[in-house]
Amino acid sequence: MQDSDLDDLFATARREPAAVVSVGLMARVMADAEAHQPRAAKPLAAAPRGGFWRGALSAIGGAGALAGLSTATLAGVWIGFAQPSAVIAVTEAFGVEGSLIETVDVLPTFDDFLTEG
Amino acid sequence: MPFDDASDVPDDALLVLYANGDGAAARELAARHLPRVLAYATRMLGGDRAEAEDVAQEAMLRLWRIAPEWRQGEAKVSTWLYRVVTNLCTDRLRGIRRRRAVALDDAPEVTDGAKSVEVGLVENDRMTALALALDTLPDRQRQAVILRHIEGLSNPEIAEVMDIGVEAVESLTARGKRALATALAGRRAELGYEEGS
Repeated sequence: MQDSDLDDLFATARREPAAVVSVGLMARVMADAEAHQPRAAKPLAAAPRGGFWRGALSAIGGAGALAGLSTATLAGVWIGFAQPSAVIAVTEAFGVEGSLIETVDVLPTFDDFLTEG
Repeated sequence: MPFDDASDVPDDALLVLYANGDGAAARELAARHLPRVLAYATRMLGGDRAEAEDVAQEAMLRLWRIAPEWRQGEAKVSTWLYRVVTNLCTDRLRGIRRRRAVALDDAPEVTDGAKSVEVGLVENDRMTALALALDTLPDRQRQAVILRHIEGLSNPEIAEVMDIGVEAVESLTARGKRALATALAGRRAELGYEEGS
């Protein structure tokens, strides 16, 4: 057998019509395709309705955020009431007497309005 | 279907469409590849059509499964399918040979002649002779020869399919062709190849 004969055999084989796919095989392949086709994710179920406080809690970000918020509130209240002795110490260190500091009353107190009638 | 002529859409894009829920893309992919996959499997399995159909269905099933993770541009769908079919056929042939070896203990009188069907047409004779000769080759040589000379793949593509180097492919196809020539040597005249043609 020569190379050219073999090449001729291969060429004949290549010319052969492609295998005819039986209806049954095609149906089985398509059934597989359908069975294994990725499905779109199901829409998320609506969140269960909670009460007002549950809604408020989730609105601010949960229990952790609530704890932080409470701490910040208490700290603010404490800073507002406490004597700012640390600040006084600083101003005294610069040699500034409290009486020498000129203050401008930008927002007159209610007392002035009351006395003027 | 969002496109009018699916034949223009590349395989990669069809796989993405399929993974996104487009059933028509699967039909187009099957129409494109199933005939070739089936023909290759039939050749690899020595003409066993039922086994070849099983292999073809399994190969397509693996394609459907891998579709969501398919990385575009990395491998051609056809090359990937050839690779899957090659591996499936190798496994099947191992099983068939084992069963045949067991059966031979009981019935030693099995001849290849029983397989060759006498048909009047020279071309059919030639194809039968080629199939029988291919059957005598070692698995790797047969795979390489079929992929190169019948399926028409390039050597680098075959290297990818068989997971070997290009030089190994060249060596396998060369040895396979020589073995085929030897196997068919005695049938030259019978197959209509005249001396000196």
